[in-house]
Amino acid sequence: MKGKMETSKDWSPEMQAEFSRRRRSRNWALLAFLVGLCLLIYAIAVAKLYYTGRMW
Amino acid sequence: MSDAVRQSAVDPVGTPAGEALLDQALLGGTARDWVALLKPRVMSLVVFSGAAGLLVAPVPLNPVLAVAVIISIAAGSGASGAINMWYDRDIDAIMRRTARRPIPAGRISPDGALIFGIGLALLSVVMMWFASNLLAAGILALSILFYVFIYTMWLKRRTPQNIVIGGAAGAFPPIIGWAAATGSISALPLLMFALIFFWTPPHFWSLALFASEDYERAGVPMMPVAKGARRTRWEILVYTAFLLPISVAPWYMGLAGRLYLAASLGLSLAFLWYAVAVVRDRQDASGVSLTRDAPAKAAFKYSLIYLFALLGAMVIDHWIG
Repeated sequence: MKGKMETSKDWSPEMQAEFSRRRRSRNWALLAFLVGLCLLIYAIAVAKLYYTGRMW
Repeated sequence: MSDAVRQSAVDPVGTPAGEALLDQALLGGTARDWVALLKPRVMSLVVFSGAAGLLVAPVPLNPVLAVAVIISIAAGSGASGAINMWYDRDIDAIMRRTARRPIPAGRISPDGALIFGIGLALLSVVMMWFASNLLAAGILALSILFYVFIYTMWLKRRTPQNIVIGGAAGAFPPIIGWAAATGSISALPLLMFALIFFWTPPHFWSLALFASEDYERAGVPMMPVAKGARRTRWEILVYTAFLLPISVAPWYMGLAGRLYLAASLGLSLAFLWYAVAVVRDRQDASGVSLTRDAPAKAAFKYSLIYLFALLGAMVIDHWIG
């Protein structure tokens, strides 16, 4: 795998652009996931405290 | 199974097909590939049946917590799908239906998929516990473990009864939804479990009939491969016949009203009609279809409508009753 990684230096500009595009899409998706997770945990905590008065 | 294909799917280094896969692996998958790893179509059915269990429960759950429960069920389903794709990457690579999945196509590494699946599974169970209760979280954990260890790793490659027993994993969501709302289990969610349990064989075997070449090439002993197409057609009919009394049982036990009764009778009789058409399909001496499995394809499509419509009728009946 290490040897193969070196061949990525030989990528064409199109391959480099495709790599950047995929990495960008993954990063945005991860950001959306983490923000969504934080909001969801926050909403659950508020709902539980408001309706039951306890977290667990 | 071709050794070269199996080798390239498991360890891409050193084979011609593997070099192309390695280029894909270096590029990495897109966000869409990671979503595909969750088996979104299966997830939609799991979420729908889980929501049905939640909605027919006698105790309403706070809407925010209900959404969190549904998301947890979806995450658990997705986690199971990702771990399943990790384990089955060798046979997925040689089946036409699954060869373009992210792992066999080289867009996501097997290790990445496994870590993603395990992480999501843990997150889904903790989230379920936080949003509802320990019982619902425990059943969610059980369904994930059942799907991964009992179905995927133990039964799938060993017995033609794989989806009969393994189908239980897909039948848990209504119980999870009900348990999340009530903190207990009672007759109606158990009947919903039975409904999905007996629905799974005719659903999957209809698919297996027209995808049997794929399964045979991969060495998966699905019913048409292990016992032949003729036996499979009859088994589809038998399980579909079982569905009729099971689908009516909630009304008979006083747990659903007349609207549900009418829907269950109509939908189950129609399913039976499709199953009879599968048995009566024009076929050769060994039971192989001479019509490119047109009745099996129709039965497969109808089976999806059947489950959505029946559970939907149960929810509507509950809310207007």
